Amino acid sequence: MDENSLRRFQPDWYSPTRLLSSPVDYDFPGDRFIPNRSLMDLDQAHTLLTNRTKKLGKPKFNNEYRKKMEENLKLDVEGRPFRMLVFRGSPKSSRQSTRLIDEMRRSDEEIPLQNNDNRRYRKFPLKATRALDAPLLSDDYYSNIMDWGKSNILAIVLGSILYIWNAQVQKAQILMEVKREHDYPTSVAWSDDGKTIAVGCNSSKLQLWDAQTSKLVRDLQGHQSRVGCVAWNGHILTSGSKDRAIINHDVRARNSLVCLTRVHGGEVCGVKWSSTGNALASGGNDNLVYIWDISKMSSRHYMHRFSEHHAAVKALAWCPYNSDVLASGGGIDDGCLKIWNTQKGTCISTTETGAQICGLQWNRHHKEILSGHGFGTGESPCQLCLWSYPSMARIGEPMRHASSSRILHLSQSPDGLTVVSAGADETLRFWEIFGPPQDGCSANITDLDNLLSLKASAVR
Amino acid sequence: MASRTASKDIITLRGSAAIVSEYFGYAANSILYNRGVYPEENFKKVKKYGLTMLLTEDEGVKTFISNLTAQLAEWLEAGKLQRVVLVIMSKASGEVLERWNFSIETDSEVVEKGVSREKSDKEIMREIQAIMRQIASSITYLPCLEEPCVFDVLAYTNTDVAVPFTWIESDPKLIANPQMVKLHSFDTKIHKVDTLVSYKNDDEWDES
Repeated sequence: MDENSLRRFQPDWYSPTRLLSSPVDYDFPGDRFIPNRSLMDLDQAHTLLTNRTKKLGKPKFNNEYRKKMEENLKLDVEGRPFRMLVFRGSPKSSRQSTRLIDEMRRSDEEIPLQNNDNRRYRKFPLKATRALDAPLLSDDYYSNIMDWGKSNILAIVLGSILYIWNAQVQKAQILMEVKREHDYPTSVAWSDDGKTIAVGCNSSKLQLWDAQTSKLVRDLQGHQSRVGCVAWNGHILTSGSKDRAIINHDVRARNSLVCLTRVHGGEVCGVKWSSTGNALASGGNDNLVYIWDISKMSSRHYMHRFSEHHAAVKALAWCPYNSDVLASGGGIDDGCLKIWNTQKGTCISTTETGAQICGLQWNRHHKEILSGHGFGTGESPCQLCLWSYPSMARIGEPMRHASSSRILHLSQSPDGLTVVSAGADETLRFWEIFGPPQDGCSANITDLDNLLSLKASAVR
Repeated sequence: MASRTASKDIITLRGSAAIVSEYFGYAANSILYNRGVYPEENFKKVKKYGLTMLLTEDEGVKTFISNLTAQLAEWLEAGKLQRVVLVIMSKASGEVLERWNFSIETDSEVVEKGVSREKSDKEIMREIQAIMRQIASSITYLPCLEEPCVFDVLAYTNTDVAVPFTWIESDPKLIANPQMVKLHSFDTKIHKVDTLVSYKNDDEWDES
């Protein structure tokens, strides 16, 4: 019992009993409030009483202010700046996780960090380590005709023929040729185990080919127009088409079509599954990016809809070390590289590059992202640019193809050290830009990734 | 009778970092057991700090905590760790229910010059023992965690620290209007660790 309530029961207090039930604890005896006018600021009191509280409009804080606030919030009580980090190391689960890939990953993470002093300095290449001739490479922004599979084989479509180039032995061979008139492959994607390749064609055909035997495995139906992009998620194959639909196929089932979603207002230019396989990002010619949850795709309920781009979104890439982060790049009228938090549905950062972004590749060994550009009016048309994440600062020198021709497609090797870019100058150039790998720090890198197709998901 | 002067042991920076990160490992296990984040069958008893401590048997959690404490020890040796927070969240809603805050004050002279300090090992053990007892008895006033929970560990470090891939930038995961209880602290003369638990205000038993 505090002092005030004790005072209530004092017998010499001449207050009436109704004070006992009053909501306010009076500090002095009495039942009337006699104000002391000389101590009051009447003008202030009047304004406070009569002013209606204004509804705060949306505050327009400019960047300077934001930066200052951020700096302030990042300092603790003593004014020392600090960083807040959350541990996302090995997955912690109450189930016995006996998957070999988890064991390998854990033993990788136990390798002690190198001392800062021994950090090797990276060299950024100005020239490509190798260039391959790619005659008849179609100069079309709306196709995705290059993919480097886990078996270390690069698939590339030249004209109407799909070639596969074995990076190990550096030999190329023809996988398939589309002989129908006015038809040619417009998208290729390797399955997660690197054995099957999905080929989408201009005529809306979607086929599965076995890479080792060069035989057609399956024909998948569903689209009515050119299939511009395909992406694998285990046994699910997702395709996006000019008919604005996104189709999920289960390649094991007889009736392969799992669901068809037609939500985009224009051609679907890019589809990408996140590394955990739970979320799909789709970019369209309608300048929108939709994020889908794998379990809710059939009901047309998207998780998020990002409308901040001003041009078609073809380039999409999920961050390998933070499975909620997505990078998207806009077309020629936009040229913005936007980083999104797909958990909250917010845009983390926007970087204006001034040129259409046709490909995005995250660096698995260092916190960086590489963007490939086509035409543009800004300072980086027809180049490859490397950005540091999350500061989005330019690193290194821009890399170009011959005669400043535009970059059309980007892909990276399974070990994450080399990037290949396909340009309108009909060449493929290989850049060793993502290395050197840091021991024990790389996300998802083990040799086992090449052999097994398991995706280790962070499970609690 | 033998003289009662406590013998002082020499404590180096590395030793102190080891003590603090080990303490954190045991404290985390104790919290997970006492708050019921993982089922009790998963824990086994060990003797530590003169008490019976419970450590988890679950491989995943074990590895998680050992990786974590290894990194904390490294940061402590460099004098870059300011705080460690163990956050308990509801599995379903992701809402933060409890926050166990361990603030660390490092004697910067030791980090810069590499001197060592003297303090009786037994004294430190006793201090830690007192805190462990307090953690165990905290279940008497902490609100019951009815739903399945998960935990996360946050670290507040200096800005110039090199962040390995296993740690990512995060928000502080604070609780709105928390109730806070300060527990005992222990001091190795190189690192001083304060423990504080904040939990969500249990509105049901509001007494006006």
